Amino acid sequence: MSGKLNVVIAQHQGKNPGKRQLEEDIAAALIMEPGLSVSIVPHLYDLTETHTGTLHLRSVSGDLLVLAWLYPRAARWTLDRLGVRGKPGRTRIGAGAAEQNDTSGDDPHRGTPEKPTDARPVPDRFVFCVDLRDVEGAQQVVEEVRRLRDELSTPVVPLTTWIQGSPRPDQMRRFLNGDGTATPPAKPDAPRNGKRNGNSAPAGPAPLVIDDPTPRRWYPVIDYDRCTNCMECIDFCLFGVYGVDDQARIMVEQQDNCKKGCPACSRVCPENAIIFPGHKSPAIAGAEGEVAGLKIDLSRLFGAPSALEIAVQERDRELIADGREAVGMTKGIPKRQANAAARPRDELDDLMDGLDALDL
Amino acid sequence: MTEALVFSMGKYQAPIPVDRLYAPNHVWLKPDGDTYRVGFTAYSVRLLNDVYFLEWDIEPGTSVRERQEIGQIESSKAVASLYAPADGVIVEFNQSLLDDPTPINTSGYDAGWLYRLKTEAELLTPQQYVRMLEDRWEDTQRMLKGQINEP
Repeated sequence: MSGKLNVVIAQHQGKNPGKRQLEEDIAAALIMEPGLSVSIVPHLYDLTETHTGTLHLRSVSGDLLVLAWLYPRAARWTLDRLGVRGKPGRTRIGAGAAEQNDTSGDDPHRGTPEKPTDARPVPDRFVFCVDLRDVEGAQQVVEEVRRLRDELSTPVVPLTTWIQGSPRPDQMRRFLNGDGTATPPAKPDAPRNGKRNGNSAPAGPAPLVIDDPTPRRWYPVIDYDRCTNCMECIDFCLFGVYGVDDQARIMVEQQDNCKKGCPACSRVCPENAIIFPGHKSPAIAGAEGEVAGLKIDLSRLFGAPSALEIAVQERDRELIADGREAVGMTKGIPKRQANAAARPRDELDDLMDGLDALDL
Repeated sequence: MTEALVFSMGKYQAPIPVDRLYAPNHVWLKPDGDTYRVGFTAYSVRLLNDVYFLEWDIEPGTSVRERQEIGQIESSKAVASLYAPADGVIVEFNQSLLDDPTPINTSGYDAGWLYRLKTEAELLTPQQYVRMLEDRWEDTQRMLKGQINEP
């Protein structure tokens, strides 16, 4: 892959000055860095199929770092939905970063090739996602970007070696195209309405800023690394949001049928593969690890309604709001509840063993 | 005082004192004037392990409904939202626990009380509570395992 790293900053939905400032600080710091292409788009989740921001993201080839106000998992699968794909890369920003780097057997490429649910080919480039809520300051991003850029860049090959040796096709292409040199690359496919910032800093090109307005949206995003195509979401949702593609793979077909604020399908998904990036509960919004996390949630022991009970209530509320009749537990209820006992050993077993081992 | 009942959680024997009543969401309610003092049963505390954070979402004097969310707790092993055990009014919280929740672990049936609740609701006798624990133990384990998947 080319040594050039594309950095896209996806802005926050609101106009919070602190958040805007961070976005601007990062952009300003990064345009001073060589070997980068920096652009700014609106909030990822609100981008439509034909938004210039979407077109821009799709036009980016090479490794991509997306900084967004979303959990990295939510950002990754929102990008996937927009048709922006690549091998998932790991950064060192974020609380989970350190753990992620050494979690046993958690291969960063996990699930990408063999998963029957997701047989689509993955472009040979990395897509990194950073949650801007984890960012402490622009400098932290600059340092991480430098690290990634150095890690990704192909070592410079002297021309003489090239003549003697045989350059790989991508090396040759880069050589012939003159890509990756000091000259900022042309952007033939820059979005129609995209505009450049007025003052370009002498050290590098100004970031591309795409700020076409984006109305707020609400729809599920599927994590195809987790999805097993069990179809419980399509059975449960009575608003026609889900469909299947020509490979019989579950997909979000009519996202605008989705009811704003309703995350019910996410609650019935047995794999927690359905993300509502805007939901207040981290587990639904795509946080990594909080669900299968280190701590057990004992809320139900103390009286919390089950996820299914909540999902049914949420669905009934939306049905009634649509002038339809509530269906309660009579439609699309997952059949999996009964076989939970067959699960392999898990944290609870460890917890119970741990409790027994303790000398209380 | 009559000896406490016991519920076996694996090797651990959870004592269930007979001088008070219980609610299905694993709290005890001990009459105190015209209210009940409410606290976690040994069963709850055993599952929670060391509690290090406790927070209430409501003010004292608030009317609550059964299973209304009223607070949050975090321990070394678990997190949980907390829910009212019955319809009633929560008249007072145990303020000292907010600074140091250790008594929940060290004195769960006494100094570790959580709040005072005024309620007319029908509550469980110690025998009924132990019966419920026995009846639900398998289900509870399964539910806890199952919930790891759920948001």
